Amino acid sequence: MTSQYKRYALTRAAQAIAVVLLAYVLTFLVISVLPGDSITNSLRDPQHGLSEEEIQRIVAFYGLDKPVLVQLALSLGRFLTGELGFSLQSNLPVAQLIGDALPSTLGLAASALVIAVVLAVAIAYGAHYLPGKWAAVLRSIPALFLSVPNFVIGLVLIELFAFRLHSFTTTDPNSAAATLFAAITLAIPVSAPLAEVLIASLDHESRQDYALVARSRGLNEASLFVRHLVKPSALPTVTMVALIVGELLGGAVITETTFGRDGLGTVVQKAVTGEDQPVLQAAVALSAIVFVAVNLIADLVSPLVDPRVKVRTEVHA
Amino acid sequence: MTSEISLAPVPRAVPATRRSSSGVPPTVLLSFLAVLVVVLWSLLPGLFTSYSPVVGDTAAKLDAPSAAHWFGTDYLGRDLYARVVYGTASSVSSALVAVLIGLVVGGAIGLASGFRGGWVDTVLGRFVDVLLAIPGFLLAVVIVSSLGFQTINAAIATGVTAVAVFARLMRAEVVRVRSAAFVEASYLEGGSRLHVLLRHILPNAYRSVLVLAVLQFGTSILVIASLAFLGYGDPPPASDWGLLVASGKTYPTAPWLVYAPALVIVITVLSVNRISRWLRKVK
Amino acid sequence: MTLQWKDNDVPGTNDAEALLEVAGLCVAYGRNSVVNDVGFILERGESLALIGESGSGKSTIAKAVLRLLPHDQATVNGSVHLGGRDVLALPEKEFRPLRGRSLGYIPQDPGSALNPVRTIGSQAQEAAALLGTGDADTRRSGILDVFKEVGLPDPARVYESYPHQLSGGMLQRVLIGLTVLPRPALIVADEPTSALDVTVQKLILDMLSEFRRDLDISLLLITHDLAIAAERADSLVVLKDGALQESGPSRQVFASPATEYARNLHADVPALNPDRYRHHRLASALQPPAAVVPQIQVQGVSKRYSAGGKDTLAVDGVSFTVERGSTHALVGESGSGKTTAVRLLLGLEQPDGGGITVGGEAVHGRSRDSLRSVRRHLQLVYQNPFTSLDPTWRVSRIVGEPLDQFRVGDKADRAGRVREALESVGLTAEFLSRRPADLSGGQRQRVAIARALVMRPDVVVLDEPTSALDVSVQAGILELLTRLQGELGLTYLFVSHDLALVRQIADTVSVLRRGKVVEDGPVEQIFSQPQHPYTRTLLDAIPRVSSPELQGTPTLPQLAKATR
Repeated sequence: MTSQYKRYALTRAAQAIAVVLLAYVLTFLVISVLPGDSITNSLRDPQHGLSEEEIQRIVAFYGLDKPVLVQLALSLGRFLTGELGFSLQSNLPVAQLIGDALPSTLGLAASALVIAVVLAVAIAYGAHYLPGKWAAVLRSIPALFLSVPNFVIGLVLIELFAFRLHSFTTTDPNSAAATLFAAITLAIPVSAPLAEVLIASLDHESRQDYALVARSRGLNEASLFVRHLVKPSALPTVTMVALIVGELLGGAVITETTFGRDGLGTVVQKAVTGEDQPVLQAAVALSAIVFVAVNLIADLVSPLVDPRVKVRTEVHA
Repeated sequence: MTSEISLAPVPRAVPATRRSSSGVPPTVLLSFLAVLVVVLWSLLPGLFTSYSPVVGDTAAKLDAPSAAHWFGTDYLGRDLYARVVYGTASSVSSALVAVLIGLVVGGAIGLASGFRGGWVDTVLGRFVDVLLAIPGFLLAVVIVSSLGFQTINAAIATGVTAVAVFARLMRAEVVRVRSAAFVEASYLEGGSRLHVLLRHILPNAYRSVLVLAVLQFGTSILVIASLAFLGYGDPPPASDWGLLVASGKTYPTAPWLVYAPALVIVITVLSVNRISRWLRKVK
Repeated sequence: MTLQWKDNDVPGTNDAEALLEVAGLCVAYGRNSVVNDVGFILERGESLALIGESGSGKSTIAKAVLRLLPHDQATVNGSVHLGGRDVLALPEKEFRPLRGRSLGYIPQDPGSALNPVRTIGSQAQEAAALLGTGDADTRRSGILDVFKEVGLPDPARVYESYPHQLSGGMLQRVLIGLTVLPRPALIVADEPTSALDVTVQKLILDMLSEFRRDLDISLLLITHDLAIAAERADSLVVLKDGALQESGPSRQVFASPATEYARNLHADVPALNPDRYRHHRLASALQPPAAVVPQIQVQGVSKRYSAGGKDTLAVDGVSFTVERGSTHALVGESGSGKTTAVRLLLGLEQPDGGGITVGGEAVHGRSRDSLRSVRRHLQLVYQNPFTSLDPTWRVSRIVGEPLDQFRVGDKADRAGRVREALESVGLTAEFLSRRPADLSGGQRQRVAIARALVMRPDVVVLDEPTSALDVSVQAGILELLTRLQGELGLTYLFVSHDLALVRQIADTVSVLRRGKVVEDGPVEQIFSQPQHPYTRTLLDAIPRVSSPELQGTPTLPQLAKATR
């Protein structure tokens, strides 16, 4: 670890924290400033069934009688101390609601990520090394995967494997089999860009002079792939995997709804329909933290994978 | 479902200006045909079906696809094909609105960022980073929940999530062109900044951005359909494609209610993607 | 020579056969034929050069010999016999061991020829392991030995380095080292020096000659440079558009070329024809100095850049003057500061110290707007015509841009002047509606020159205007530039890394090194009595050939020995 790398790592980490805080502010502004029902109005909505006393308590807690900027300051201050407030719907602590939902979603997203990477590597390897016709078929698969809505994949899988083949039942969405199919649903659209990047990278690297020179020394194609092409292709792949995490978190909302699973996505969905702003705010902030953290890790790993990546500390991410 | 990740690095050919008019691959021609049909559906739905999208024949409810009802009928006996055709206008125009928002706002941010450089670039770059930090679909959900559940609001939300992608690409293109020798040559020949921006940088930068816009059109259809599927668009009796799939899934015995509108979505988006890829190569 | 690797001769051959015999070789990409019926013979221990300009098919032939063409795209016909065996007919499995062991390959750009994400050592180990001798430690010491032999200063450090940490010259040494490691029978070198600085070029070529002499390794040299080919090879094969033009012993092809193409090629090489443009230049030199004040005056100019916390003086107290109607050359290798000097002169950057005047007007310390009046009379022609013309514009608009910006005359006037400028660079009016993509490199550079001339300037700065072009195209451009200078009385500032070129067209010269002028004066004086050792090194790097036409040019001793 050079001191230069340490400085780079610290700067990147500081930038990441700043981005998360700004994302929190942006979300807050979108939720409170944009037209539509304000939080005070929704408090009086009979569906929450709150008494006047409870409403007063909530108004005081969130500073709802104060200007928006003061509310923002209060909210940001609580966020920084880890205090996420209470759900307007259930009156439960937001931290508890999200903490209960998070493991299921993270498990789903992680399985989907593994499936997506395996799928993408298989497609890319085949597209690069199989003979012409098969390669052409494989090369067109990412475009197809990108064109099918997440929920359609889910409904087709349910129809096929739950209703016809009885591989799993929709009544027990948290079973291993159901989780597997949900993960596949989430993985398919996400594997497409990954496969595209891998294919492009393999094509690019194998055309480079150094590949030609390695062949001129008598290296065969298999060794060329393992020793020369995998590592340079790893960098764009790592970057892409990090970006994909955002897609996975967004896609989880739909996939969980489609399969009737409990998780962060369902919490978000309920918060949206129930106008439960504190829950929504916290869920979005948490997603941003996960996404930014994964990308921070990718940024920190890149210089170790590829010595050409300059360890620069300038402002641009 | 934002598409910053579907832009795989494509080797940029020397910008050739003459493009071959012949040799359009058959799949691209088919794609254009599909898009043409979709456009006609949205402009003149009455020409394509004699059924009403809202009034059904309850005697003929949940009928399977047949010569009379190509896509079958729903639980109120409404012709599904007619509902799809009449839902096209809203699905397509909302995607267009989304692309326009992304293109105009994102393009302007990228242009200012790349051309002006310095602190403008830093501030706008930070802003784009923050937009990207919130997973796209979640951001869209938050915005639409704030604005209210309507298709137009879903379109606006989708457009906002696309801003960052357009800004990044536009900035990269502007920076690439700005460093070209012909730009410096133009300054040396007495060209003003405005002249260089309008006459040299934009004409050279807009093409990739336009290709992205086409691609983003397909992505927006998907995102808006997903929002409609969750019930964040116009409520029934509107017949947005995503909404049709959502209401169809409650009838497992009538799978065409899901498959028919889903197939229309897939074919439309696939065609748009194919055209975008072709444009990227032809360029 | 202490290479301990066993001499890997071409298996199953006898010495009676030629080492490499290519006959009726044709290569096509689809319907597009790039090499057509080419044949030549390379004897053991000899060297042969394939010469041609871009598109001549010389690199394709080299790759066909090594069977490195993409087999799904290129169709290869004909025969390539290596020590009597037809390598094109061999199955890949039997051919692969020949590559690397009997056949070595040195690519054009050393910067991209090593995997950027792996250390030099790991890639050298891989090359050595393919030879199947010894364990990792013996291989390592063998590699370090060969690194020392190719003149790498600190072999152990090089072994640990990544490619991007070494200079181009060092990387090329690494590649040559890895290529000679198994002591192959033949090395195919594809433009091995064209990506390197001139002084490094000579060292690399010397080393290849040395290996050929001492290790008996034959050399198939691919080059665009007739002078290098004639200096380094026993026999020459001249190619054009994929077809053989002429072949034979170097002396013969060089001294009495039989074909028109070879004759022209000879005439176009700057190193061989120092006086080629003398007739134009005499006309301009005869004019008496019109003004007392020199056209360009640069005095004690300095420019400092700070990068990564370190300050570097890109230009350090540079001074020179250029008389009206003459050509002054700034010569130097990469990093010499010549580009910075030009940017300062054009007012694109401001100097930290010193002064610059053009036509008596100061360039330094002026605002953007007031620079406009100076720039009217001061024009620039860029190095690379592929990036200096906007690809979306038509030629008429490109050439007319300065007129439009400076609002010269009315529309008809401008159109007339654009046509006139195009005509003066030898392009007809039909080019007006073309776009850069429809033009060849030479035509593009002519358009760029027309754009520079349309304002009728006094001074034109030529920033390596021919370095991106083939020699025959370069000759056309130089011819044009010298003619225009005589006709219009232009003052040129000519930036170049190529002293042979400078000798052809400049009157005075400043030699730059690391931001400083090490020597300046009239061209004749610099060439006949160089004072500074660096100038002498640059001069030595110009290829010399024992040719009856060039009396007084010394013959390289190596050449005499090599052609014994």
